[in-house]
Amino acid sequence: MSPHTPGTTAPGAASPGAAAHPATVRTRDWLVVAAAAIVALIALYAVFVDNGNLIPATGSYLHEFAHDGRHLFGAPCH
Amino acid sequence: MSVTTGPTPPSAPSRPTAPYPLLPLLGRGLAAGGLAGLLSGLFSLLLAEPLMDRAIRLEEQRSAAASHHGGHSHAAEAEELFSRGTQHLGLVVTAVVAGLALGVFFTLAHALVHRTAPQTGDRAWQRAMGLAGAGFLALSLLPALRYPANPPGVGDGGTVTERQALWLAALVIGVLGMVLARQVHLRLGAAGHGLPARQTGAALAVAATLAALFLLPDNPDPVPVPADLLWDFRVLSLASHVILWAVLGALFAAPALRRRRTPAPA
Repeated sequence: MSPHTPGTTAPGAASPGAAAHPATVRTRDWLVVAAAAIVALIALYAVFVDNGNLIPATGSYLHEFAHDGRHLFGAPCH
Repeated sequence: MSVTTGPTPPSAPSRPTAPYPLLPLLGRGLAAGGLAGLLSGLFSLLLAEPLMDRAIRLEEQRSAAASHHGGHSHAAEAEELFSRGTQHLGLVVTAVVAGLALGVFFTLAHALVHRTAPQTGDRAWQRAMGLAGAGFLALSLLPALRYPANPPGVGDGGTVTERQALWLAALVIGVLGMVLARQVHLRLGAAGHGLPARQTGAALAVAATLAALFLLPDNPDPVPVPADLLWDFRVLSLASHVILWAVLGALFAAPALRRRRTPAPA
């Protein structure tokens, strides 16, 4: 167990200290963030990719509402 | 543990007693991302929307000319659903959604990469801004160099599925490229090389990623837009990406800086 003093590690070189000194993350916290990441992926798909397949009832509405955002952020648009 | 040496408990030599504060950081990532998206969206609303409106007027003129020859008017059909005003609002909403989602991924990546590092001080700022820079390269700049943004009026409905597959592939390659660059940087360091070699190696990994992106097929669509309008739009598109990532990284790191005012033992 070597002391992990902030300032002695080079930026991006956390590996030697990291192996000896892992910061714990609660499993529950990982699960919450994983769930949030899945929701975020679905949201990004809905806004930038979907053409009415995600919720068929919405038709082209989602696509047309996000139309300018798609063009601006470089997502393919019709 | 009752030694009164300083106000920074994380410098205790044993295992950290407090776990990495992932959920508070998720909240911070969402707030930072949402605000970054809002600022980016408002920037685009002011500067990019006039260009998009002009591009749509040009598209209408083109399709009006084409309809004399029996072509179908795609611009008119697109405009039935929402007014331009609603689509302007949609731009800001889209930017906020993108910012919130990127805030989640930013928090996740930060936890995966930096959870063992101290969460305060200049280094914390440097790490957050470095991660924002990596995100910009992976998801914004590198894909944009291969498939630059196009204003309305560019884009054939018949090729949209193909273009989406290419774009998503470019995003995945961008992310993999940044993972590769980091691994090269870490492994060269572990092998005892100095910063010049490590940064050169990481830069070569980024260059290799860009080369890999150009192995993907070209965007199949023609670009019937005046060059000045096209490139003004592309520059503004990249600027809105820069604003999104820079504000996200800065707001994520800002609380760490505030805490630094208490004197830390160097």
